[in-house]
Amino acid sequence: MTLNTEFMLETFFIALKGIPVTLSLAAISLLLASPAAFFMAIARINRIKGLQKAVTVYVSFVRGTPMILQILVIYSLLPSLLNQLFMNLNLKINVFDVNPILYAYIVFTLNTAAALSEVFRSALQTVSIGQLEAAQSIGLSTYKAYTRIVIPQALVVALPNLGNVTVNLIKGTSLAFMMTVKDITALAKIEASYGYNYIEAYIVIFFIYIILCSGVQLAFRLLEKYLGGYRKPAAG
Amino acid sequence: MTRPFEPSFIIEVIPQLLPFLGTTLAIVTGTVLFGSMFGFILARAKIRGRKISKLLADLYTAIIRATPSIVLLFVVFYGLPELLLGTIGINSNGYNKVFFVLIAFSLQFAAVMSEVMRSAYGSVDKGQYEAAVSIGLSERQAFIRIVLPQCIVVALPNFANSLIGLLKEGALAYTIGLTDIMGKGILIIGNNYGAYALETYIALTAIYWGITLLIEKSFHLTENHLSRGNKGISAS
Amino acid sequence: MLELKNVHKSFGRNEVLKGVDISVEKGDVVVILGPSGSGKTTLLRSINFLEKADKGTIVFGDIEAKLENASKHDIRAIRKKSAFVFQNYNLFHNRTALQNVTEGLIVARKVPKAEAVEKARKALDKVGLSDRYDYYPSQLSGGQQQRVGIARAIAVNPDVILFDEPTSALDPELIGEVLNVMKELAKEGTTMIVVTHEMTFAQEVANKVIFMDGGVVVEEGPPGEIFTRPKEERTKQFLRRIINDFDYVI
Repeated sequence: MTLNTEFMLETFFIALKGIPVTLSLAAISLLLASPAAFFMAIARINRIKGLQKAVTVYVSFVRGTPMILQILVIYSLLPSLLNQLFMNLNLKINVFDVNPILYAYIVFTLNTAAALSEVFRSALQTVSIGQLEAAQSIGLSTYKAYTRIVIPQALVVALPNLGNVTVNLIKGTSLAFMMTVKDITALAKIEASYGYNYIEAYIVIFFIYIILCSGVQLAFRLLEKYLGGYRKPAAG
Repeated sequence: MTRPFEPSFIIEVIPQLLPFLGTTLAIVTGTVLFGSMFGFILARAKIRGRKISKLLADLYTAIIRATPSIVLLFVVFYGLPELLLGTIGINSNGYNKVFFVLIAFSLQFAAVMSEVMRSAYGSVDKGQYEAAVSIGLSERQAFIRIVLPQCIVVALPNFANSLIGLLKEGALAYTIGLTDIMGKGILIIGNNYGAYALETYIALTAIYWGITLLIEKSFHLTENHLSRGNKGISAS
Repeated sequence: MLELKNVHKSFGRNEVLKGVDISVEKGDVVVILGPSGSGKTTLLRSINFLEKADKGTIVFGDIEAKLENASKHDIRAIRKKSAFVFQNYNLFHNRTALQNVTEGLIVARKVPKAEAVEKARKALDKVGLSDRYDYYPSQLSGGQQQRVGIARAIAVNPDVILFDEPTSALDPELIGEVLNVMKELAKEGTTMIVVTHEMTFAQEVANKVIFMDGGVVVEEGPPGEIFTRPKEERTKQFLRRIINDFDYVI
């Protein structure tokens, strides 16, 4: 078995250029999904009628269907919907001019929101009601009690799971090539197709993902150490 | 985009898809089998292996967890034939694609299962084992009769999650040309020259969602049945 | 009948047992007393090989073995001749009270099932749980769980039962029911080694008291002597602390 090492090195640097795309997909999806996920979690914890049911079905759907199908459905549905919208608004935008990364943001945001809502829900539930009551008892408003006391604690509890969601999201973005987004995987695939160097290309991105995901995991672990300091018992 | 959405096609296409559900489920079953066996070996190494085997098992798990399914699938599909040919002179050109899919997903599932098994083992109090050997059971009997059944109850929810994850990731097998239910759907779309794509995807989505719900439900029932020893008036 | 010689055990750099000798005759009720960290639980666990001692010899009936490298065969033989009652009961969570007791009979001793069930019922009746056969541990109170633990031990008809602080995890009002069962066993001539802080039990039931401190046996003798005329200063101090109104003869 001989690997074309020259090609691998070349592909490595080309695929590296996909890292910003991959990371921006992950970061923007997380950013957009977080507030939605938080309210979904609150709706479920407080059993808000109707909303609770809707959130449960939504989470079950995302959890119960392959990411690839979510991508395919949205990618074949959204452009025609957008086209309709543009026509109705009398906008002279050709739907083919829309950057496909927009669809990717939408898919990954929708997917991540479901996963995050579960993380937030279980994290919020581990913070005892006593913390909320104590905060209110010293005169904090419910909003302040949440933002100053409950959420900071829940966040620390949620960190390991947040790390998992993030890593899964980064792994999931490797399917963005289905929407012609030029992420790490897409760039490697394109390089590979020129000379049928598929093995080399995939081994290269295999390593890139390992480095990337391990880095993210490490970052979360450090963050956990840094933020979780208050949970360590005092020495002595 | 020129053709209106036809909900009736969703119903029409399902009977064409369902015969290929067998392939999908066979791959899941095979992966669970091989993956669990390998996962057990990994878990054993993590729990009571020598330092070096523990390290290797942990490293393996970390690598797999950082690798997107599609990348692993491609690495195995393109890389394994070369590896087989180069090292032991086996030509795998004529091998069924099922072979590669099974290997790729078993490698992945093993890492997941090793963690499920390890945490389940860790959750069973050491006193259970001690009590068993103290009344004369051999180490093996103590493990099989007392510790293992309790591990299984603890592991069940995580196992169900892993199984659902496997089912969903398994949908990627079509990308190397396997004709499972997903692959059949893609073929149907191809035969229709790309028409009815959305309808077909929706049909597939519904089927996957249905299976996931079925898995969840049946595990829920099993869990309730098995954990009868763990509930009661003074459950601690 | 049971003898331990020169038992040594360290956990890391912490030497817990520094050469302990004890001997137990058939029918003895031996109570081991001592402050926490004195090594008494470790000693008890070494007998059943739940803890592997670093050095020492065990002579149990016709078996003689080195504690540090006993063969699997000897370990199992010794475990079959003895039974252990744990501080936190360690009932099998996935077995009913009856199944907890039959497990050792059917699996380890190959007693036919019908006979095992018969024996298990008798053992449970003896500890006053004839109405709890089919309850799971989580459905029983602490005192009931510990009595199942004792039934599990007596059902296998061991030469000696080892009790590791059997009442210290119990609420005060539940201690009595367990101690009563143990007294009953002592009366019937069951050989027992008991690690406990229950002084009354030691005074009334034991025929031999061993006082351990700092990994060694400080003093041993019949309860009458230990409680009324302790020779060692450390024993006196310990007893003074444990029993407030302790009044010994000088």
